[in-house]
Amino acid sequence: MSAAVANHPVLDPTLALPFPQAALPVLRNPQLRKNVAHAIDVIQAKRAKLVAEKTDWQELRSAASAIRMHAIENLGAYLEEFEAKCTAAGGVVHWAADAAEARRIILEILREENASDVIKIKTMTSAEIQLNPFLQAAGVNVFETDLAEIILQLGEQEPSHIVVPALHINRSQVREIFARRMGLKDLSDDPQVLTAAARTYLRQKFLTVPTAISGANFFIAETGGVGVVESEGNGRMCLTLPRTMITLAGIEKVLPRFQDLEVILQLLARSATGERMNPYNSIWTGVTPGDGPQRFHMVLLDNGRSSILTKPKQRQTLKCIRCAACMNSCPVYRQTGGHAYGSVYPGPIGAILTPQLMQMHHAQSLPFASSLCGACYEVCPVKINIPEVLLELRAQVVNQERRDLARFFDPMYLGLRIASLLFAWAWLFHTSQFMGRIGIRLFTRKDGWIHSLPSVGGKWTQTRDLRGFPKQTFHGWWAARSRQSSPVSSKEAK
Amino acid sequence: MSAPVSAPAQSRQLVLDRIGAATQSVRKDASQLADAYRALPRAYIRRGALSAAVRIELMIERLREYDAEVVECTPAALPATIAAQLAASGKRTFAAPEGLPAEWLADGFTWKIDRGLATTEIEEAEGVVTAASCGVADSGTIVLHHSPAEGRRVLTLLPDWHLCILRASQVVQTLPEYFDGCQQPPALHPSDQDLSLGTPALVTTISGPSATADIEMTRIKGVHGPRFLHVILVRDEV
Repeated sequence: MSAAVANHPVLDPTLALPFPQAALPVLRNPQLRKNVAHAIDVIQAKRAKLVAEKTDWQELRSAASAIRMHAIENLGAYLEEFEAKCTAAGGVVHWAADAAEARRIILEILREENASDVIKIKTMTSAEIQLNPFLQAAGVNVFETDLAEIILQLGEQEPSHIVVPALHINRSQVREIFARRMGLKDLSDDPQVLTAAARTYLRQKFLTVPTAISGANFFIAETGGVGVVESEGNGRMCLTLPRTMITLAGIEKVLPRFQDLEVILQLLARSATGERMNPYNSIWTGVTPGDGPQRFHMVLLDNGRSSILTKPKQRQTLKCIRCAACMNSCPVYRQTGGHAYGSVYPGPIGAILTPQLMQMHHAQSLPFASSLCGACYEVCPVKINIPEVLLELRAQVVNQERRDLARFFDPMYLGLRIASLLFAWAWLFHTSQFMGRIGIRLFTRKDGWIHSLPSVGGKWTQTRDLRGFPKQTFHGWWAARSRQSSPVSSKEAK
Repeated sequence: MSAPVSAPAQSRQLVLDRIGAATQSVRKDASQLADAYRALPRAYIRRGALSAAVRIELMIERLREYDAEVVECTPAALPATIAAQLAASGKRTFAAPEGLPAEWLADGFTWKIDRGLATTEIEEAEGVVTAASCGVADSGTIVLHHSPAEGRRVLTLLPDWHLCILRASQVVQTLPEYFDGCQQPPALHPSDQDLSLGTPALVTTISGPSATADIEMTRIKGVHGPRFLHVILVRDEV
């Protein structure tokens, strides 16, 4: 059940259209595709340059992969250690089994604080649990403070990327949103001017709103410390000025020790934004007398994560540090942008994370939203083998569908059953190949191409042509070739 | 209206039980866990190979790439250099942490010493002067541990202009060298040549001024944090 009430469409995997349908409107929107392609081209170029200057990049990746895997394989021990350390430092640790419980815990804290307003640091985890619409419906005014999140909130739009969530919106669209919602008639579309408008819009909020909500890029078992990585300083404002801080984090974000950051921080900034280091990192440990919020609540969210942990091949998904390098490198994301994925986690990581968080009850089309080219695996700073997990999830989806009796006569499954029969015997295969070659001529045009096929074949020819069959099969060619060479090898070829 | 929700303690146990069941096959006791952690591969570069002089040059170059203003001085010339920087800023009112050395508080300016200043008073300061805990040359990063000379976090956040005093002996080349320094108990004397910082409860790292690239990936300087970062690099190395 979704408790969220929204006045604009929410990225809810339980309601989203299958990926191929959801992608269509984007593919027909050249402005959107241009905005997305421009943004990721810029990040990709910066990232490539800074990764190339790191001579120990692969060693850092190997270390990060091992640290993250160690952390999630020993998650229980490290969470309990974090809880003890954070509590000793004056923090209050809450455990939320699912999204509804996390929303309820946060609302209860806000009620205790008599909070009518709350300022927020960008957190994709809060978008995952649809926190904003829930709090708004409960009468709490939520103010996003990250520039991209302000654009989305005021423009009533959804994030399409996990690091630069408004990358699908260009400057003139931002100008229009700010002019309308901030009442600034003469605003120009210069990013400098637009940024200054956001600064002014928020300054008073930072100085007066006593309650803040953040996510966490990591939290540290050894010390009980929590970290936020950012660029603008809105994070530092929210972490410093309010009286009360509520941090929502997925349970998998734990790091064993403080020193592990020497690896993670080097990889994260370069992978996410193509910087040697992002402008600000903040780490805090519970409550520090005289400095920053004097009440600190940490909400640890499961919401499907522990179910991912049960699958040895798939649990590597939880190593993710949310850098977005995979979506920036993905040829599919580049064309469709983020909204087509129907989840706050788009791109290759979303294609494996979302269906698993939904425990394979929703978002089953996402594992197929990939060409399996492997670019995501190559750039991943923690070496998540995304193609491997995609294949694993595809197999699960297919097995789900095969068990579904209604699909018994589905042309695709029928065809595959027949194919498995034909491939089992050589004579049957050769005979059907011979028949098929005659049949396919009906569809082959004079130019040697097949432009349209009936039934399931049409799914292929809808978007691309298929070359007609050549005059000779491979088997025929091989046999002919063998006859021309030595008798020994022709014997082997049989 | 909503599904029945479990009591807090129950959810804690529920989540930990789920995790326990999922990781049953790789369960370890405390000493096995420590051994497994120690065995993790760490073949990346720990210590940089640059000489001290080149390391400082790199730090300065990186800071300037972030549009930070950098000047160098000898330890003896520090108070005069601070005064010159403050004068050149054209600003009059500066905030300072309580632990800032008295000789750094140049005459002729209005100083707001932070003995529990209200947020509005810090907001009114035109600039702030602080020390730092470490500089990382590879990325041009300044690390604050918010010691008495570095001040509360809000102090280096609200004023638009930040003058940071960094000693050359605090500058390391690689990020792992900084984290090694945190493994050492804090130094008794700030002039100790080895970086000995202890594990901090609060850390802020600063790599250039506040920035965003959220609109068309165009980098804009100065969103919410200080827009101007000035660094005095004190050449105290032997």
